[in-house]
Amino acid sequence: MIIPRTIRRMQDRRHHKEGPWAELFEPYKGDEVISLDCETTSLDVSKAEILSIGAVRIKGKKVMTSDRLELHLKPPASLSEESIKVHKLRVQDLSNGLELEDAFEQLLQFIGNRPILGYYVNYDIRVIDKFLRPMLGFGLPNKAIELSHVYHSIIKWKHVGGEVDLRFDTIASRLDIPIIQRHTALGDAITVALMYIRLKHGLTPNNTH
Amino acid sequence: MTDSFKMDNIPFSLLDQQEQALVASNLDLGYYQAGEKIITAGEAPEGVYIILKGRVSEIDVGEDKQQQVFVHYENEDYFGGWSALRGTAIHDFVAEEETICHIMPTRILVELIQSNALFADYFQQNLAAKSEIVAQHGKGQDMAEFMLAKITSATVRDPLIVEAGTSIRDATRKMRELKADCVLARKGGRYGMVTGTDLLDAVVLKGLDLETDVSEIASYRLVTADPEDYLFNALVTMTQQQIERVVVMQKQELVGVVELTDVLSYFSSHSHVIGLRIERASSIDDLREAAQGLNSLIKALISTGVKIRFTMDLLAAMNGRIIAKLFDLVIPPDMQPHVCLIVMGSEGRGEQIMKTDQDNALIFRDGLSWPGMQETMNQFTEQLISFGFPPCPGNIMVSNPEWVNSVGDWTQRLSDWAETCEGNAQMNLAIAVDAKPVAGNQALFKVARNWFLRHLRNNDVFFSHFARASVEFDTPLTFFGNIKDKGELDIKKGGIFPVVHGIRTMALEHRVLATNTFQRIQALVEAGQLRDKEGQDLAEALSLFIQLRLRQQMRRVESSEDGFDPTPNVIELALLNKMERDLLRDALQIVKWFKKHLASRFHLGG
Repeated sequence: MIIPRTIRRMQDRRHHKEGPWAELFEPYKGDEVISLDCETTSLDVSKAEILSIGAVRIKGKKVMTSDRLELHLKPPASLSEESIKVHKLRVQDLSNGLELEDAFEQLLQFIGNRPILGYYVNYDIRVIDKFLRPMLGFGLPNKAIELSHVYHSIIKWKHVGGEVDLRFDTIASRLDIPIIQRHTALGDAITVALMYIRLKHGLTPNNTH
Repeated sequence: MTDSFKMDNIPFSLLDQQEQALVASNLDLGYYQAGEKIITAGEAPEGVYIILKGRVSEIDVGEDKQQQVFVHYENEDYFGGWSALRGTAIHDFVAEEETICHIMPTRILVELIQSNALFADYFQQNLAAKSEIVAQHGKGQDMAEFMLAKITSATVRDPLIVEAGTSIRDATRKMRELKADCVLARKGGRYGMVTGTDLLDAVVLKGLDLETDVSEIASYRLVTADPEDYLFNALVTMTQQQIERVVVMQKQELVGVVELTDVLSYFSSHSHVIGLRIERASSIDDLREAAQGLNSLIKALISTGVKIRFTMDLLAAMNGRIIAKLFDLVIPPDMQPHVCLIVMGSEGRGEQIMKTDQDNALIFRDGLSWPGMQETMNQFTEQLISFGFPPCPGNIMVSNPEWVNSVGDWTQRLSDWAETCEGNAQMNLAIAVDAKPVAGNQALFKVARNWFLRHLRNNDVFFSHFARASVEFDTPLTFFGNIKDKGELDIKKGGIFPVVHGIRTMALEHRVLATNTFQRIQALVEAGQLRDKEGQDLAEALSLFIQLRLRQQMRRVESSEDGFDPTPNVIELALLNKMERDLLRDALQIVKWFKKHLASRFHLGG
């Protein structure tokens, strides 16, 4: 049975109030947001494995790129056996990646109880939850902010009739934000962070297309 | 951190890898709305801001609350470094449009300045030092061309080869016939070099017979060079080994001989040749031909990376000689001691590079009777035009009777101009006080000049008025912003004129006789009227303006069909790279300072 995320969050919170991760369940009072992006092997949550995670803290109008998280994971089992044969990856190449447990530990420390921002962020959260829940017994409790929703809610007033184009590159170009290292987890996280600040603090972009 | 930050840009390119990594890991990104203050005057900035996207203006909030834009910063420019080091900002920095900046915290800046001397210099030094760093560190394209000339680009002379068994007599005769300085004797598969000096030594000192086989006195230890080698290396070889020629060999094949004189003349271009031709010209046609060679000389000098001030000096001397020579050819000898030809304006200052308009005048002895004078003067102007000196649009030429005066009239005109505040008179005066005698009786000119300088002594009202023009044109520092689509700037109004005119006024006040602005600056420094550093900065700024202008002028002349540049003072900003923009901005800051200095010195308030 699919339990809505809000309900599961309440359950998780009750179960972990006294645990080592209790802080994560405190309601967040600050003004910071974490922009998060994962690189995965598939767009299907049930098949996806995490390759890398990029996250950066947003404070007010600043993207704190000096305080960022970039985690490269050990290639997942599904990939590694084949890769060793096919791509001739050596053992030391593989050992550079983090174990999922260590990565999540760092990630949770980094995020704390701040809201998580992303482009199609629910996908990232669900993939993370898929591995996190069996490990620690809870999913990410944080509030999620969906960039394309923020964008849509601002742009739709300017856009009578028709679909709003929510593709990543379109949003970036509408907002006139330079795309930083497309298709690396950290690069996308930074770009999303910039777009978010732009939407939150800048003027409504003109829809000239 | 990301590829959005370019480490290749100076001054970050001066850092080593470790330092660059330190920068990369400490950058934040800031977003600013149009109109938002990024740094507030009086407060401590967070660090250095490097623009990723957008535009920022530095605004001077004056005492009268009048805002004055000081500078604009654009993509990849950095700002706030000075303020960060000082601890407080003296100006506001405001985003003109939506702006995203990288922010490098002050502590990192301080750390870098302590660890990297070059970086520190670049950040803290004045313009002169900055240009020096750039010149040494930058790729120095001009210098590269000079250094990278291949041997084949100089004259490789065909070798004169004789077989073993040829007598000294025959070999000498052959050298004479073919005007060769040396001969190569082939003996077996080898070549031996015999120079004129070798022949002299053999015959005169050793007393060898004239029928002796020349291959016996040849030297078989040849110093060779590959044709693809750098000419510069050949020069080094010759200097080290104290020889005057190297043999050019491609693998085992003999190609020719390169002589020291050829190498030197390649590097020094043909200035001496043109100089000689001017001196030797016996007719106007000869002279015209020599004059037309000047343009290619200018190009050669610029492209070999000769310093702009040296080029200007050389050119002023050349132009002066051409005009003096023409004077000799056109003015009857019996009249020459009674008149003096002067050149004025930029020519008088020796600061023109491309042949610009002629500004000249004639002063003649009081009471001179020379009925055909004006006619001769008209002819003089015509000839100069045919030499490629365009006529003066303001008609300040000897063909205009207004500019042909007796000493008495000339001094009268100068003092009349000095007393009127009308614009035209002021402009005429500005041109006239840069006058330099080039031909005829110089005493006539000196009498008039000395009288005028005495006449002006302590005339504060005059100086105050005269100086005003130099602060009249508006601050050009806003150019990065408000004419974005046009993206160009009148460098004469914005940079050159304020410096030249301000210095001119100060020079007049202190009776400096030099007319060249650089020399005037030097003289003013020596007289204690400018500080050493101020003088250096002004000189450096001025030569930067001239250099940038010249480069773009040449470009336009080359791309236009008639070789004419309709907008000689325009700098197209798009053609400047980031570093040149930096330097230009710094130079304009100096102009800005200088204008303030003038305003307080000559009481130009308001």
